[in-house]
Amino acid sequence: MPELKILLPNLMKRLPEFWRACGDTLLMEAWSGAIIFIFGLIFGIILTVTKPGGIMENRPVYQVLDKIINLFRSIPFIILLTALMPLSRWIMGTAIYVRGVIVPLVFGATPFFSRQVESALAQTDKGLVEAALSMGSSPFEVIFRVYLRESLAPIIRAITITIISLLGLTAMAGAVGAGGLGDFAIRYGHDRNMIDITWVVVAVLVLGVSVVQWIGEMLARKNTH
Amino acid sequence: MIELEHIVKKFHADKKDTAIHAVNDVSLTINDGDIYGIIGFSGAGKSTLVRCINLLERPDSGSVKIDGVEMTKLKPRELYKARTKIGMIFQQFNLMPSRTVFQNVAYPLKNMTKDEIKKRVRDLLALVEIAEKEDAYPSELSGGQKQRVAIARALANDPTILLCDEATSALDPQTTGSILQLLKDLNKQLGLTIVVITHEMEVVKNICLKAAVMDAGKIIERGDVFTIFSDPQHPVTRNFVRTTSNLSKIETLIKDDSPMVQLKPGELMARLVYIHADVSEPLISFASREFDIEINIILADVEIVAGAMVGGTVVIFNGPRERINRAIDYYKSKDIRVEVIKDAGA
Repeated sequence: MPELKILLPNLMKRLPEFWRACGDTLLMEAWSGAIIFIFGLIFGIILTVTKPGGIMENRPVYQVLDKIINLFRSIPFIILLTALMPLSRWIMGTAIYVRGVIVPLVFGATPFFSRQVESALAQTDKGLVEAALSMGSSPFEVIFRVYLRESLAPIIRAITITIISLLGLTAMAGAVGAGGLGDFAIRYGHDRNMIDITWVVVAVLVLGVSVVQWIGEMLARKNTH
Repeated sequence: MIELEHIVKKFHADKKDTAIHAVNDVSLTINDGDIYGIIGFSGAGKSTLVRCINLLERPDSGSVKIDGVEMTKLKPRELYKARTKIGMIFQQFNLMPSRTVFQNVAYPLKNMTKDEIKKRVRDLLALVEIAEKEDAYPSELSGGQKQRVAIARALANDPTILLCDEATSALDPQTTGSILQLLKDLNKQLGLTIVVITHEMEVVKNICLKAAVMDAGKIIERGDVFTIFSDPQHPVTRNFVRTTSNLSKIETLIKDDSPMVQLKPGELMARLVYIHADVSEPLISFASREFDIEINIILADVEIVAGAMVGGTVVIFNGPRERINRAIDYYKSKDIRVEVIKDAGA
């Protein structure tokens, strides 16, 4: 298409690299997202059940987890990225490229997602928990059959928000050599002043966010009665 | 049989050391097949007390025995099992919004095949007369229908006890009536022991044969409902009884200084409360003739509680004081309680 070559001269010359950047971003998002989902869900549930008045009230566990989450939430991601390089090397064998950025992404977004899960579960009517207990449900049954099941819609919304904010973090991760769209935009769009590349990356991200938001909202609505 | 002995439950307000005694040394025995009312104003501790029966609240001290089994000593697994035999329904129904009526009732059913569950749920829904709503979500039901589903769910595992925590307080009077009727039927059909927590005297009057009155964490009065109604001893109980009786309107009339309650000199206004009276006797006209005084009825309220007559009248006596006193003595001899409300002097 000759029009595209005129409109987006720099991008069209680097198409293979652009596709790879898209793939890397997706890869970062998928790997870290899956890990964040598991840990965040577990931490969110632990916070919910161990907090004062919870079904497995446990002050020490709640206090420690609560403080750790607050600590990691207050560290700016760009600092986390560099500070966790040794840990990353130890766990993943490298501190660069997609593999090297999974650890900081997990540490950066798990606390956020844990809080999101906690507040999603907090929307569960206390009366439902009480009713389930009165019917002989064990605490674990209450977690799986009441908390998770009844707050499916808010949890889906929490996942949506987390995926979107993770997209922002992966772009930032480009700064430490993780690759991906953020890195692509900085190296060409910013450093070499190739405006068309900046615009296309922004458009791709906007599109990605919109799609995620739309799917999330649709699933959430499907699970609301 | 439910046997509560010396139950104490404290809550700590804020982080201070001042504990609030929600339940303060309460002992209570409820026999099999009873419909037992526990009445009190909000904050009296009745909800906490009833939660001590299925250990949703663990008492700080005291013993909870159900059919002779000490609940507070059960291991967690045993407690979960024991709870399946104690149904509970709530003011806000507490149905799971993401589940259909069928799925809600099926929630507590375990170790059953799909077909067995289907049959059990359908039987239960038929029992509470709401079979046609099987596939509806709770948000599509009215309050009365929700409570019926909640009752079906509470009965899923064939409990011997049903705890009702303000179960009709969110319903309109008509629906309240139909739910109470359903509870009465279940009590008869299944021999279910029912514990009814309420702040509405009407509810107790309607379905309970025995009741306890709670105030500030203690049971201040207990016994059969008829006695509590006809002859309340404690001021709080009297307050409750008055809320359901027309006779209490006299206080409002006096406060408003209504012309109806203006006394002429020599007149005396009194409340006559029938305790064990044979109301068929013409008490007013007899006294009027016998002592040659005028007795003017201002208000009257007689009703049936637990199958017996309860009530009284508010009257104004007019005549020579000595004869009025003789009439009052006559009433007292007939087991009628006479409370002087207002006296214009001899």
